[in-house]
Amino acid sequence: MTNSINEIENAEVILVSGSNTTEAHPQVARRMLDAVDRGARLIVIDPRRTRLAECSHLHLALNPGTDIPLLNAMMRVLLDEGLADELFIEMRTENFLALTGVPLPLINQAAQLYGRARKAVICYCLGVTQHVCGTENVQTMANLAMLAGHIEKKDTGVDPLRGQNNVQGACDMGALPNMLPSYQAVHNEDFREKFERAWGARLPEDPGLTLVEMTHGGAQGVIRGMYIMGENPMLSDPTLTKVEETLRGLDFLAVSDIFLTETAQLAQVVFPAACFAEKSGSFTNTERRVQMVRQAVAPPGKCRADSEIIIALANRLGYAMDYDSSAEIMEEIALLAPIYGGIYHDRLDQGWGLQWPCWDRDHPGTPFLHKYYFTRGKGYFMPTSHIEPGEMPDHDYPLLLMTGRIYHQYHTGTMTRKSERLSRESGQALLQINPADARALGLRRGETVRLVSRRGEITLAAEITEQVALGMVYATFHFSDAPINLITNNAFDTGSGCPEYKVCAVRVEKIMTN
Amino acid sequence: MPPAATTDSHLLKKDHLKGFLRKLSKEYRLVAPVRNRHSDVLFTVIDDLDGMEIELTEPPQNSLKQFFLPQQEQLSTYSVTPEGYEFHPTQAIIPPTVYFGVHPCDLSSVLYMDVVFSRRQRDPFYLRRRQGSVLIGINCNFPSPNCFCNATGSGPFIEMGSDLQLTDLGDRFLVETGRAPGHALIKRWQGFFSPAEAKDRAARYQAFLEARGRFSRQVHVEQAIRRLEAGTVPEQVWEDLSLRCQDCGGCAYVCPTCTCFTISDQQRDAVSGQRLRNWDACTFAGFTAMAGGHNPVVAKTAAIRQRFEHKLRDDVRLTGRPSCVGCGRCVGICFGGTDIIRFVERACQGSL
Repeated sequence: MTNSINEIENAEVILVSGSNTTEAHPQVARRMLDAVDRGARLIVIDPRRTRLAECSHLHLALNPGTDIPLLNAMMRVLLDEGLADELFIEMRTENFLALTGVPLPLINQAAQLYGRARKAVICYCLGVTQHVCGTENVQTMANLAMLAGHIEKKDTGVDPLRGQNNVQGACDMGALPNMLPSYQAVHNEDFREKFERAWGARLPEDPGLTLVEMTHGGAQGVIRGMYIMGENPMLSDPTLTKVEETLRGLDFLAVSDIFLTETAQLAQVVFPAACFAEKSGSFTNTERRVQMVRQAVAPPGKCRADSEIIIALANRLGYAMDYDSSAEIMEEIALLAPIYGGIYHDRLDQGWGLQWPCWDRDHPGTPFLHKYYFTRGKGYFMPTSHIEPGEMPDHDYPLLLMTGRIYHQYHTGTMTRKSERLSRESGQALLQINPADARALGLRRGETVRLVSRRGEITLAAEITEQVALGMVYATFHFSDAPINLITNNAFDTGSGCPEYKVCAVRVEKIMTN
Repeated sequence: MPPAATTDSHLLKKDHLKGFLRKLSKEYRLVAPVRNRHSDVLFTVIDDLDGMEIELTEPPQNSLKQFFLPQQEQLSTYSVTPEGYEFHPTQAIIPPTVYFGVHPCDLSSVLYMDVVFSRRQRDPFYLRRRQGSVLIGINCNFPSPNCFCNATGSGPFIEMGSDLQLTDLGDRFLVETGRAPGHALIKRWQGFFSPAEAKDRAARYQAFLEARGRFSRQVHVEQAIRRLEAGTVPEQVWEDLSLRCQDCGGCAYVCPTCTCFTISDQQRDAVSGQRLRNWDACTFAGFTAMAGGHNPVVAKTAAIRQRFEHKLRDDVRLTGRPSCVGCGRCVGICFGGTDIIRFVERACQGSL
């Protein structure tokens, strides 16, 4: 996020795109709704009529995969109406081009609201990124914010909502194929050398593989051994048949997790990991805030913290890794990762943590980004135009499937499905389907149906609701008994490697008994 | 109101508070609001009187509910025998406990729970925790920003319900004895106490008047109660607030008078298991859902209806007063802006 979460409360206009915020980020939605109570206008771009869309002033129910034309149309309105921030564009950006689009009254209204606001934020989530054109979607969002000049001030910005407590921290620490910690590119010799000196080891010169390149390598893939930590690709990655083939074809698989997941069941070695309450260290959340986590209870049985597992493993593999505490690791992070340069445990111990970039011990942290300059210098208008999803409904597979999450379950359910109470609230996979489509198929509420795509088929119960428009269906990926990723498409954003979970073509079949 | 001249009242110098508590802790388990190292104030079991900081002004984040109705409690274990199920009630030894520093809102809520768990059917699990407990209250000189106990008739000072009731008078506490166990405590450790004089009782009255003037919110609970009884709360209010409810259950969990629970059996192995009681909440869809999926409560339009009607209408009919004690905890915790103050404000809108 370029903003802090609390800044959302102060915005006059909030544009939310591809985010089911009340279900996926309730703490952020709370700020959005508080802002609405104070008079802010809320615009929601989402194909589904989500709870947040119901609370919004404008709901732009776009067709899945058409974010770019929509946002470009909004920019067209800003330009036509003279709402573009020309001074900002001149001073802080380059490569600005007039982008065309389709003017519709609603788009017009949304653009006016966004463009005329003094303080406006954009919040987006996986509905924007999980497309073949995910990178371009984000670039278009940035174009819109730059065009309106909603980026350099407090309470304005572009905010991707990160889904997990520490997914931001994992990226910061170089859990990306092309980056060393602190977004120092692998291909840069100076950066590599810095880490090589600190670690006393040679580092590869080439970027690694993205997640799906690894889990879709096939039985004879180039990767022969894997160590998977806290991830359950056997439920979360697209085209599960391919994932299973790849993992079963490995020479060796080790998994560490707090429960024996579907993925861990395929492993030769499973390390029982400590959970958040059983270890000390720090997490970095969506607003770039690094916060201390303190051990509350001892890990059960032979469970160990992830860092202890990695250290022990490194030593067995012949690399003498020696850290006595997570504080010592933090000191090395401050040494090697400039955006964490001033972040130490003793500072984190006081108050609510620090937001990076935090360059040195005296730096107070950074509540919002891009105040005087962008990371690359000037903001770059990257022209974008519509890119078709990898697969669209056709005669054989007439419905469009989107996948996502529901309130009571978390990701592949490895933790939440252990809770009786959460299972009572949402205990089974549901397929949301529009009443008219359901009528055409002769479905009743809760009826078990077969969902079929070119990749596979599953059975799950129908939830008949106007949340989804005619011709669309929606399901979640939480339930191993109805693994939706047997269905999803094998198409990716070439920029990020992110799978297109949000669009594929399916058919719903009534199951005939007798 | 000024205490009647006959009220049995004493003085306890603040310097002697710790000494008094130390005596109590020899015969009772002691629970009091403690500020922890993250500066949160929580009712905590005091095992080291000198190592803990008792906080009497800022209200604790938790109420006493968890001590009488634990969030999870084992009721029994069971085994499967050839004859069928055999239940073995869980024996719990609850030490006699002094709850010290209880604000009037939390005292009122314990009195309300007593009604819930003993009016028609006596709940042995609740009562065994409640019996042998001693409540030492502290009147609120400084209500917090979310407090509105003045509007629910449960504060800022309380006249009844506690065993001993303290009022902070600067360098000393005025100590009033409510019920027999309070008299016994004073008598047992009478060296700590001296008789209160008329000027001390006058100071208490002055503190009460000043506290009443310190509420930062004006919440018209009584008006909302009347409108609920008259059925004049617009449907739109329920729908708007239900739409905004994010279904986290936080209000019910922090509420000192929300006592809904669910009992479930957890299998340990093929022949044994345990029966547990857990907190639950009427705002959860699963609380009212029937087998087969039908739900008499339509979550989208009525999720929070039961909660507010129960507290502000049904309980008023039953006990003569609302079961909201105005502690304001739900105001601080609510994700959607659908707390009880928002409801009261919406329900009273358009009354002119």
